[in-house]
Amino acid sequence: MSAPPCAAPLDERTLVEYWLGELPDDAEAAVDEHILGCGHCSARLGELVALAGGIREAFRRGGLQAVVGDAFVRRLAEQGLRVREYRVPCNGAVDCTVTPEDDLVVSRLEAPLAGVSRLDVVVHAPGLPDEVQQDVPFDAERGEVVYAPNTAELRAAPSFRLRLELIAVDDGGRRVIGDYTFNHTAHEA
Amino acid sequence: MQNPPALELEDDAALVRRIAQAGPARDHDAEAELCRRLAPRVRLYGLKHLRDEHAAADLMQQVMLMTIEKLRTGELRDGEKLAPFVFGICRMSVLELRRGGLRRERLLKQYGEDLAPAAAPEPLFDLERVEGCLEKLPQRERSVLLLTFYEDKPADEVGAALGLSAGNVRVIRHRGLARLRECVTGERQ
Repeated sequence: MSAPPCAAPLDERTLVEYWLGELPDDAEAAVDEHILGCGHCSARLGELVALAGGIREAFRRGGLQAVVGDAFVRRLAEQGLRVREYRVPCNGAVDCTVTPEDDLVVSRLEAPLAGVSRLDVVVHAPGLPDEVQQDVPFDAERGEVVYAPNTAELRAAPSFRLRLELIAVDDGGRRVIGDYTFNHTAHEA
Repeated sequence: MQNPPALELEDDAALVRRIAQAGPARDHDAEAELCRRLAPRVRLYGLKHLRDEHAAADLMQQVMLMTIEKLRTGELRDGEKLAPFVFGICRMSVLELRRGGLRRERLLKQYGEDLAPAAAPEPLFDLERVEGCLEKLPQRERSVLLLTFYEDKPADEVGAALGLSAGNVRVIRHRGLARLRECVTGERQ
C-alpha cells in the first residue's frame, strides 16, 4: 500500500540537501521530524537513498565511465580499491591493460587547461562512430583531466587502440589542446 | 454497530491511541502496524546521521523497542505528538551510539527474544537499468552525481574536486537527478 499523501510535502531539492548535510541545523532538525512523521516524504527520501546506492554500486562494479577528480581517486585508493592509473602526457601515448585484480582504471590526461572555459572530449574508438562528450569537468589548476573508463567493458574487450582528443571551446571556436593514444592489451589469464 | 477501520487505513495517531488504550493487554496488531510504518523512517534517520547500515539497523531496533514500550505504559497518549516523541528518542539513541554505549550485544542481553531481526530493504531499482541510465547522462551530470552520491558529499566539496562552483553543482545535480529518475522509473517529474 502506498503512503497517504502529505499535506506539506518536502520538495526534492530540500530532500537532497538534507541527505547531503547541506541544511543549517535547525532546518535539518525540522526535516528529521517531518520524515519521522510522514510516510509519503520518507518513502520519497527512501527512493533517493536507493538511487544514490545504485550510483555507488554501478561505479563499484566498474560499469560506469566518468570524469572524476584527483581527490576522488586518492580517496578510493585509501578505501582499499585497487586503482590502476596511467598518466598520459599531452599528445602522448600509453600501453595499458586491466587485470582481474583491478577494481578501477584511471587515466590522467595532462593538458594546458589554463584559461579554458569549456572542454569537450572526443573519443575515437575502432569500429564505432566518434563520440563527443561535451562540457566535461576539469581541474585547470592541476592541468589534468582524470578519466575513468568503463572498467567492466574494458575488461571484456580485445586488444585495441583508442584515441581521445581534448577540445577547448570558446567564442573563437574549437581547438585541440591534447591528443592521447591508448594501446590497450587484453589481459591473458 | 460499525466495524473499526482496517489497521492500514488508520493514521499513526490512531494507532498510538490503540496501543496506549490496550496497555499491558497489548494490541499486537496495532503495534505491528506502527512498527511497519516507523521502522523504515527510523532506518533512514539512522543512515543519515550514522552513515552506516549496521548502525542504522541497531538504531532502528533500539528506537522501535523504546517507542513501543513507552506507548504501552501510556507515556505518550496524544498521537499527534508521535513524530517529535520518536525524534527525541532517535536523537538520544544516536548520541548513545556515537559514544559507543549502545551495541547489538547489549540490546540482545536487554531485550532477548523481543528483538526482531532487522529486515533488509528490497532494492528499489534494477542496477543494470541505473547503469544504462547513468551512461545516457551528459558527462558533467554523470560526474557530479557520481562524486556527490558515491560518498554523499555536499556541493562545495564536489565543486572543489571538479572545478565548479557549489551553486553550479547544485543546479547540475538537480537536473541530473531528475533525468536519472525519469529514465530509471520511466516517469516524467
